[in-house]
Amino acid sequence: MNIYKPELVEIMDIIQETPDIKTFKLQFVSKKMREEFSFLAGQFAEYSVFGEGECTFCIASPPTRTEYLECSFKIAGKVTGALNKMNKGDIIGLRGPYGNHFPLEQMEGKNVVFIAGGIGLAPVRCIIWNVLDLRDKFKDVTIVYGARSVSDLVYKRELEEWKKMDGVKTVVTVDPGGETPDWTGEVGFVPSIVEKVAPASENSIAIICGPPIMIKYTFPVLEKLGFTEDNMITTLENRMKCGLGKCGRCNIGNVYVCKDGPVFSYKEMLELPQEY
Amino acid sequence: MKLMKIEKGNLSKLMEHLKKDNFRVIGVTPDGKRFSEKFDETLNFMQSDTPPTSISFKEHFFLKTEALFYYKNNNGAIDLKEPVIDERKTVVIGARPCDTASLPILSKVFNWDYADDFFNRRVENSIIIGMKCNYQDDYCFCNEVGLSQNSEKGSDIFLIPDGDAFIAKTITDKGNKFIEEFAIFFEEYTGNPPAENKNGHDEKKFDYESVKKWLDNNFEHKFWDEAGETCLSCGQCAFVCPTCHCFDIVDEQCGTCAGVRAKNWDACQFSLFTKHASGHNPRDSREKRYRQRISHKFKYYNDKFSEILCTGCGRCSRGCPVSTDILELLEEIDQIAHSTTN
Amino acid sequence: MDQLRSVCRQAISENKAAFIIGYTEDKHHHLKPFIAHNVEETEKLTFNCNAVNNLAVFIHRFHNPSQGKIGIVLKPCDLKAINALVQENRVKREDLYVIGVNCSGVVKDQNKEFSKENTQIKCRSCASKTPAWFDVVVGESAEFELPEDDMAILMKQIDEMTPEQRLEFWNAEFEKCLKCYACREVCPMCYCEQCIADKTEPRWIESSSTTRANFTWNMIRAFHQAGRCIGCGECDRVCPADIPLSLLNRKMGMVAFKEFGYRHGTDMNAPTLIGTFSTSDHEEFIR
Repeated sequence: MNIYKPELVEIMDIIQETPDIKTFKLQFVSKKMREEFSFLAGQFAEYSVFGEGECTFCIASPPTRTEYLECSFKIAGKVTGALNKMNKGDIIGLRGPYGNHFPLEQMEGKNVVFIAGGIGLAPVRCIIWNVLDLRDKFKDVTIVYGARSVSDLVYKRELEEWKKMDGVKTVVTVDPGGETPDWTGEVGFVPSIVEKVAPASENSIAIICGPPIMIKYTFPVLEKLGFTEDNMITTLENRMKCGLGKCGRCNIGNVYVCKDGPVFSYKEMLELPQEY
Repeated sequence: MKLMKIEKGNLSKLMEHLKKDNFRVIGVTPDGKRFSEKFDETLNFMQSDTPPTSISFKEHFFLKTEALFYYKNNNGAIDLKEPVIDERKTVVIGARPCDTASLPILSKVFNWDYADDFFNRRVENSIIIGMKCNYQDDYCFCNEVGLSQNSEKGSDIFLIPDGDAFIAKTITDKGNKFIEEFAIFFEEYTGNPPAENKNGHDEKKFDYESVKKWLDNNFEHKFWDEAGETCLSCGQCAFVCPTCHCFDIVDEQCGTCAGVRAKNWDACQFSLFTKHASGHNPRDSREKRYRQRISHKFKYYNDKFSEILCTGCGRCSRGCPVSTDILELLEEIDQIAHSTTN
Repeated sequence: MDQLRSVCRQAISENKAAFIIGYTEDKHHHLKPFIAHNVEETEKLTFNCNAVNNLAVFIHRFHNPSQGKIGIVLKPCDLKAINALVQENRVKREDLYVIGVNCSGVVKDQNKEFSKENTQIKCRSCASKTPAWFDVVVGESAEFELPEDDMAILMKQIDEMTPEQRLEFWNAEFEKCLKCYACREVCPMCYCEQCIADKTEPRWIESSSTTRANFTWNMIRAFHQAGRCIGCGECDRVCPADIPLSLLNRKMGMVAFKEFGYRHGTDMNAPTLIGTFSTSDHEEFIR
């Protein structure tokens, strides 16, 4: 078997989330793949634009919804630039799912706190819907999401949806200066908003995804609130090529982020060499 | 294990025969530089006391550029085609233990969970005729990484020089079958079993265990600042190395709507190796990259796959543009480790 | 080598240089680049016929005028690289403290004694055994017998080839290339912030190591060195595949001299060939 050969997927729909972030709704071309493909929240895939190459991002739709696969990407380099030029009906490649996943079982019966910044909401969105689709298994759900400005907020429609849900506390914030005159949400950086929201740490687990700087300053806030090191979960976004634990690019110490990760608890992260 | 004997002249004849029989035969080039199908037909390289080739034989199993598949875009309809692989049986002759051992070492990373068939098929399709080594210089350290000049690791057949002939020791079933198939070139060996003669040195140049232990605890240490200071960040060390296996995946366009996706050698010393699209680079300095090279070889790979990612061949040191000597650095680590524990 | 060490010691203690880029001897008795950061470390500096590296390549990395002058040990041939880098505005003369060494040739193989046969190719056409300029100079140069210039012989052979034969020759050479980029990294004249080989948007050079892509890479590097190469031969020395890379640069340099009477790196005050526009240029298109 050729582990490097992708499956073909068709772009069924494109959603312009922000000026530089898009979401693709994807469907496998092969009927067999449509039926057989399964994954767990937190796993990622390699997406190809033939002629440009591959790039790595998480699967942003939950495993509980199988009609489409969704991914969200920010235009940053060569391949994401090429993806940006693709249209509805175009064919791209997909290899995956790869990597480990969020500890759904560990989360069951607990209060779940989701904290995300910018496009970091993509992997978190996957697990949020996963949790909400199996609502009875979890206790209180808190979502804290922030972006640089109002126009940089992704999944806007879903943020509104979550706000209206019972038993889900959704707080959306933008960085100071990023607000618009009609903005009714919070203004402030994610870590300080988390401090303000102060989710209870008793029987709780937190999932944190976003820019490294946000993650760095959110951990101490959660620690202060009483979250233990193994109840703070994040993802690492190292540069990857193969996704298969071979090419040697994503290694941090003896850990292959693409296979042993991308999901790590804060406890696991502290054991890694500080090289990410 | 079975012992046979093959005269030097018969070995040449066997190679000629194999070529005619549509085998891909790989030996050492006349300049002694590397392994190639255009090898020295006089088999002059079948002397065990000459230096190893400058470039390892890895390039015949893990190709410097490997086509993964071809793509074609017909007005939006994508067609993917598997590459055609050279299916000829391959015989590699004259590889020393510090080359052959790399195959089982590399096999670990190419086969955990996901099997890289490009590598596997090439290895499965090959008969590795290894040869005992009698060469030893200041750069060699096979003993220190758990190998020796007698190591049969990775060989299917192991040749031991015996006057004008070689004692051929079969190591694997594959090797056994090969000797049976080409029995006319071999004769029974009636002498005493070859002694496991001692290596060039008894005293170890460094103690791997103490180096490993030091690496376990010294990710931050001023040693690293000095070790990588004059490194030029080229890929010489990784590309001549039998065990370095990092790679890149790229698309190469041929015309506007077709092309190939290829897997190319890459090196952790290149400054762009770990650079993110955002501009962030976890290993943004030569010192950090050099630490990665040493740590990957002597710590991380062992932690993960219970193998040292080094055969002690010394190629990287002999060829380094700024004469960085990996053995010297390992000896230094060993010394630091001892001075801090005593 | 006491003279070298005392000069370097003085340079640092008297603040003539912040640090010294020089050579040190390793356990194989080979010389390798070494940075002496303080007076104590100057004790490790040395120089002899094993000093093959062109240290000018380190200028790019350590060039930080605010920290003080860079002290650098240079052979007469390597000084040409400094001239060229001054010409190309990469470094200022006044930011350097040049410790010139009189040279009697360097070896090809550091494992063997210096001999007529065991000399670097570049020594075979070298006319300057003493540095053209310096802040301080050490050592003595001795006359030595020069063997035939193999590169000149090879160039003559290639000149006599038909274009088809030449293509075949270079294809066979470039097929060996591993794309380790040691040639680029060791070259004092290859200092682009981002090499064209690393650019991906768009990708100018295929990053694969096929004969075609290797050909493109090596030819583009040769073109970028046209009239710029100072002939230190470091690319030849470090190539793990033994490709005679400097042959291309040398040929280009000869063409530049024939057409324009220009040799790069001989005069640090001269305008560069590529950077100069002249209304008396004999090519019409450029006027």
